[in-house]
Amino acid sequence: MTPGPTRLRLGILGLVVVSLFAVMLARLWYLQVLDAPMLQAAAERNQVRLVPEPAPRGRILDRHGRVLVDNRVSNVVAINRALLRDRDGVLTRLAPLLGVAPDELARRLDDPRFSPYKPVPVAEDVGDDVVVYIREHRRDFRGVVAAQVAQRAYPYGSLGAHLLGYVGEINGRELEQRRAQGYRLGDAIGKSGVELVYEHALRGEPGVQKFEVDSRGRVLRSLGYRPPAQGNDLQLTIDVEVQLLAEESLAQGLAAARQTFDREHKKFFLAPAGAVVVLDPRDGSALALASNPTFNPADFVNGIKPELFRALQDPASHFPLNNRVIQGQYAPGSTFKLMTSLAGLASGLITPRTTILDSGTFTIRNCRGRCTFRNAGGRVYGRVDLVQALTVSSDVYYYSLGNTFWQQRERVGDRIQQTAKELGLGAPTGVVLPFEARGRIPDPEVRKRLHDDNPKAFPNGRWFAGDNVNLAIGQGEMVVTPLQLANAYAGFANGGTIHAPRVATRTIDRDGRTAQTFEPTVVRRLTLPAGARESVLAGLESAVTNPRGTAHGAFAGFPIDRLPVAGKTGTAQVVGKQDTALFVALAPARAPEYVIGVVMEEAGFGGQSAAPVARRILEGIAGLAPGAVRTAGGVD
Amino acid sequence: MTPRSFRLRGNPTSPWRHIDWALASAAVAIAGLGLLMVYSATHRRLEEAGLDPYNFLKRQAIWTVLGLAALVITVVVDYRVFRDFAPVVYGASALLLLAVLSPLGSTSKGTQSWFQLGPYQLQPSEYAKVGLIVGLATYCAAHRGDLDAARLGRAIGIAALPMALIYLQPDVGTVLVFVAVMMGVLLVAGARPRHLVVLGLVGIIGVIGMIQIGVLKEYQLDRLGAFLDPEDDTQLAAYNQDQSKTAIGAGGLTGRGLFKGTQTNLSYVPEQHTDFIFTAVGEQLGFLGAVTLLAIFGLVVWRTWRAAILAKDLFGTFLCVGVLAMLVFQIFENVGMTMGIMPVTGIPLPFLSYGGSSTVTCFIALGLVLNVHMRRFT
Repeated sequence: MTPGPTRLRLGILGLVVVSLFAVMLARLWYLQVLDAPMLQAAAERNQVRLVPEPAPRGRILDRHGRVLVDNRVSNVVAINRALLRDRDGVLTRLAPLLGVAPDELARRLDDPRFSPYKPVPVAEDVGDDVVVYIREHRRDFRGVVAAQVAQRAYPYGSLGAHLLGYVGEINGRELEQRRAQGYRLGDAIGKSGVELVYEHALRGEPGVQKFEVDSRGRVLRSLGYRPPAQGNDLQLTIDVEVQLLAEESLAQGLAAARQTFDREHKKFFLAPAGAVVVLDPRDGSALALASNPTFNPADFVNGIKPELFRALQDPASHFPLNNRVIQGQYAPGSTFKLMTSLAGLASGLITPRTTILDSGTFTIRNCRGRCTFRNAGGRVYGRVDLVQALTVSSDVYYYSLGNTFWQQRERVGDRIQQTAKELGLGAPTGVVLPFEARGRIPDPEVRKRLHDDNPKAFPNGRWFAGDNVNLAIGQGEMVVTPLQLANAYAGFANGGTIHAPRVATRTIDRDGRTAQTFEPTVVRRLTLPAGARESVLAGLESAVTNPRGTAHGAFAGFPIDRLPVAGKTGTAQVVGKQDTALFVALAPARAPEYVIGVVMEEAGFGGQSAAPVARRILEGIAGLAPGAVRTAGGVD
Repeated sequence: MTPRSFRLRGNPTSPWRHIDWALASAAVAIAGLGLLMVYSATHRRLEEAGLDPYNFLKRQAIWTVLGLAALVITVVVDYRVFRDFAPVVYGASALLLLAVLSPLGSTSKGTQSWFQLGPYQLQPSEYAKVGLIVGLATYCAAHRGDLDAARLGRAIGIAALPMALIYLQPDVGTVLVFVAVMMGVLLVAGARPRHLVVLGLVGIIGVIGMIQIGVLKEYQLDRLGAFLDPEDDTQLAAYNQDQSKTAIGAGGLTGRGLFKGTQTNLSYVPEQHTDFIFTAVGEQLGFLGAVTLLAIFGLVVWRTWRAAILAKDLFGTFLCVGVLAMLVFQIFENVGMTMGIMPVTGIPLPFLSYGGSSTVTCFIALGLVLNVHMRRFT
């Protein structure tokens, strides 16, 4: 047996040991009993990885089922900068494989638009053999991922680019708004056009692969897989052939205008941009919506290259991303005479038989400032009634009418503006497309408000007789979008039913069944004054067929007997710029099935530059082989 | 009625009648559990790598058999013989420690600590624990448990030599085991209380000082730092400890069942068959299993403590105290590390962790205790 002091010391040692064991037991109790639920959840999270698999988007079809936007499978090689080790080595090995220079790879890799935690795509449409090679030599390519992705494909190239829109990676703001809908970082999302507004239908349901992984993230086995469900197809009202006609004709028309000398400004027309709208007035369906200049939505697949994006934003390229159909705002010029005519007839200030002596000028009595207004080109038309006034586009007729409205304002009010608004001007048409401009219909109150808000830009806060005179011919502060203008004519053409123009008819699920139908939407039904439609249509038809008509030259040789056409030219003056050329065509003239609106910036007279564009489209619609667009002679 | 003693044949004081079977079977039970745990923690990874899933199990089984053989040899020889050969035992272990620092030694994870002998590794710092225990016990027993300052200094010197050699490998964890053995033996061997207080203070100041002047290598600081600031999960050491805690906690009260621990089987826990073997117990067998294991360890410690008290001479007492200090420190540091209450150091869990030298050393140490216990009457 050990001596006493040693026993005491052994006792102390025993106490130390017992307390150490007590500490271990307490800690074990804490971890395995008190903290166990939390740690069990942590172990579960450790072990399971959810890998989302994006769903291919739905296709976009034209009214006859032709595929405008499709998907194709592409092999993409991307580099995750957070996982990249031995950057130079990896790039050197990767470059010859992808057939590019290491510098080019480095440049794409350093693209600042990508988050440091997301793989940066450095090559698209890579061969399957390259993908296999990279996967088999993972060690040589740490941080490099090769994946198959479904990408947007555009069988018709840039056709309908503005209408279709483009798809891009979701940004922070969009993610914030849509997180509840299950969007995640890196998802693709419609950025503009129908890709944006029908995103919910096109997107589909992302799939998810559930893996069990070990500590190194190596996949051990699959715990389940829900395949992605492709989005529904979207069928548009657009007709590929009409859209193609519209875009070609607009581009040709602009090119032709650029070859035309502007005698007023002593230079060729700039004709930088324009828009064409083709509507079916019977239900408001859009057959074609064209905006020029345009862009190629395929450039946005995999992220647009920075230099390309800069070019699209450059003022010198006239903002190709803008959809001028709904975002361009233009003075309507003489195309507004439709509204003034209807307002005059509705208020009883004129009848179809009312005549005015057009001496080439109109002077407001008891007036200060600018009191004398002239016909375009200083023409003199003599005594004209409504039909003749529309045929030759007599400004004096409408100056006089506008002045009468002002003199009689106590009785008739702002009837011109009211009619314009009833026809849908000055407010969004309600078309299901993003970023639509509202236009503006000025009246004394609008004028005052504009002035109060911004006295510099609108120095004059009062409304004078001259403003009404200007208003009557679609000048002044009034602006409309090409779609508003065409839609107003469509409402007139169908007898007073104003539709919200429709671009899509339905969505189609994967089994080919209609998932959702988009019916025509009636915004308003107007009662046109008795006889108004007939007389105004007669005037518009005469503008095309009568040798004195402003669009007669543009339609010289057109088979009018086969496809009767009515129309109204417009030439709007813009401060500091060349004239805007406008033309709205209705065909067949007496029972229109097509309304075509053409607006061209800085392109001269409507009859000269815009009407030939509409003519070429109508040739196509009539089943003729459309010729080249040539500018026509004539004014307005 | 025949008195009980009459039925005994031979000499009633024969050591073979006084073998502490409770202690021996407790240790063997832990070793058996260790084999199971090593298998559970390694078979899946081996299988995946296309290797024999029993590879680690077989090797550990061989080491266990070798350990039992070493135990028998240790038990057969009267422990007092070790006192006579203490300079040889101590000197041999010091020489091995010196040799392993030469080009003969092999390096792994930045530590030059073992010899490669064919497919097996020999880690002298493990065996040196026995050398230190025997050496210290011999020196202290020679002075009948009376350590004045000079003797204390010499005793510390005996411990300091192997500690310095191991520190050069460097293997700070094992150095700490040596410190524990030294402190345990010195406490029981009669060091003055004030000397012990001073020693404790010097130890604390020494650790702080090493950190301050950068003697500790970066990874050592990482480990200690991770312990001090567990939220800083960018550090690998903190990750290890986090996964280890998660594994133990995930076991809950009754465990996830043998071979069903995802943390263990999916290699989330690092070094899970060696230093972190306790996580495999905690995750698969739960609180009940872990407490049972600690209870068996407690039994081993208690029987060792009891042998120290019952020992015929001070040399035997000090031998048992040295073994006890070694076992307790390794258990507490290892289990505490896996539960996040001690810093991460590479110290194996006695009898349980995979590793040849550690297993054999533990059985030799156990042999010393059994030896002292069974010869308490002779």
